[in-house]
Amino acid sequence: MKPIIHITWEYPPFVVGDLSKRLSDILPKIASRYPTVLVVRGDSDGVFETDGIKIYKAGSSVQTHPHILAYAHLLNLDLVRAAANALHDNGGASLIHSHDWISSIASAYISSYVGCPLLMSVYTTEITRSGSLRSVLSLGIFDLERHCFQRAERLFVQDTRMREHLAKEYGIDRGRVVLGNSPDTILETYRRFLG
Amino acid sequence: MLSWEYPPHIVGGLGRHVFHLSRALSSKGIGVQVLTFTDGSSPSEETVDGVRVMRVNPYSLRYPDFTSWIHGLNLLMVERVVKLREFDLIHVHDWLTATSGIALKHVMRKPLVATIHSTELGRRGGSLKNEHERHIHEIEWLLSYEAWRVICCSRYMVNEVSRFLGCPPNKIFQIPNGYAPDSFPKPAPLNRRDYARDDERIVLYVGRLVYEKGPHLLLEAAGKLRRGDLKFIFVGDGSMKPYLVDLSVRLGISDKVYFLGHVPDDVLHALYRLATVAIFPSLYEPFGIVALEAMGLGVPVIVSAVGGLDEIVQHGHNGLKFHPGSPNALAETINMLVDNPELCRRLAMNAREGLGAFTWEKVADETIKLYELVLEEYKSGTWKPRV
Repeated sequence: MKPIIHITWEYPPFVVGDLSKRLSDILPKIASRYPTVLVVRGDSDGVFETDGIKIYKAGSSVQTHPHILAYAHLLNLDLVRAAANALHDNGGASLIHSHDWISSIASAYISSYVGCPLLMSVYTTEITRSGSLRSVLSLGIFDLERHCFQRAERLFVQDTRMREHLAKEYGIDRGRVVLGNSPDTILETYRRFLG
Repeated sequence: MLSWEYPPHIVGGLGRHVFHLSRALSSKGIGVQVLTFTDGSSPSEETVDGVRVMRVNPYSLRYPDFTSWIHGLNLLMVERVVKLREFDLIHVHDWLTATSGIALKHVMRKPLVATIHSTELGRRGGSLKNEHERHIHEIEWLLSYEAWRVICCSRYMVNEVSRFLGCPPNKIFQIPNGYAPDSFPKPAPLNRRDYARDDERIVLYVGRLVYEKGPHLLLEAAGKLRRGDLKFIFVGDGSMKPYLVDLSVRLGISDKVYFLGHVPDDVLHALYRLATVAIFPSLYEPFGIVALEAMGLGVPVIVSAVGGLDEIVQHGHNGLKFHPGSPNALAETINMLVDNPELCRRLAMNAREGLGAFTWEKVADETIKLYELVLEEYKSGTWKPRV
């Protein structure tokens, strides 16, 4: 079976915030059921294996960014490089699973190229992080989130509040939103796609 | 071929370059697909002289600045073509489509060729002053690193890309820009008296009104000349315009200067026909395709001895050169030329005859040789798509 490729900007030992903790709880359980590859921003390009997960790390190519939006685009370029290596090394992918908006561009490219389903876990949005869209920068991030969220076949969220938020603010069909980010919920959704 | 500009959306020379190159490549049997920008006023897909042109509209997203706008455009470009597999090679132009080219290279494992027309360090006079400029500079570095081969249009640019971006010289190919004799429509019917008095000869500047193009130097030279028989016409727009208008007043020559702004090509053609001399006083000029256009229309040229202009013009043969940045030297050179009709005639004639070295057909031939080299190396390697 072709692997499920997860794409994220953090996973231990490359820790930025809470996401890496959540993923380190979830991904080993998924890896025990499906071949799992993880693409993550790292200190340099490379491949290693931990907890049954084959990890492709991508070093940063560009160091200077005028703001987070420019950073996100260049981060995704690095993630694309690592994800493409993961894809070609492993002979394809059965699913792409992206974690948060900041790695969603790379995920959308790869799933579109392969023609496999794209799933996203949405933990926060620009509106929940910033309170409201008060700057053009925030609007730019919001538009990018909306653009990428709309490409996902399923979006995992923690609760109904986030589901309603995605429906109201991002125009996401409620039928595409899966409640819960637990390994069991995710695996159940995978089964629906993979049989 | 990925380019942020392509007709009808033309900002500078890059759009014309891609238009003529893609057309010339197509005429030689190379299947060319151009991916570019639209604001909604041009079709999202059409075929132009055998070239399939696909356009994406980036205004579905909002951006805080130009850098982000470019990133958004690149995002949409990748999405448009990532499913297409019927091409052998990706060719991008400048940092403006670098990220889409690099993404496609890795996802599809196809070789990437980059034409670097200019660099941020060069455009900014050798120093990067803020994070936007440093960001662009680093993307240019990344592009030269990721590209299988890099094309530059002049020896000057080969040197610049090698020094500023650390690109190995043997990775860079020099292929000059071309000149298309048919690039201008028929001249518009202009009344000369709308532009200059009967006793005034026209000195023509064509280019953006930005510091690197040196329009202020021509104004300062005009101020030093103080000749009643010359009219200085500036074609083009840019951020320096208010400063230049003010400078012409301070120099006391506002009645000798006419800022026309951007004009259609038929009007520009007619203005070239009216001009005694065309002046390109750039402080930074990777190539100077505009000087070729003036030469092709039979106007003697004066250029600053910088970049590609310095390589195109042989002083006293097909034009005159002056020391870059020196209004005194420019004033002397203008004096030398406008009072010497025989020199004008000879320079214009030699310039026109020499244009055979700059055809788009030759540019296409050289580009095809490079494509063949890249594809041969690619085919003999192990880096291939496995999906």
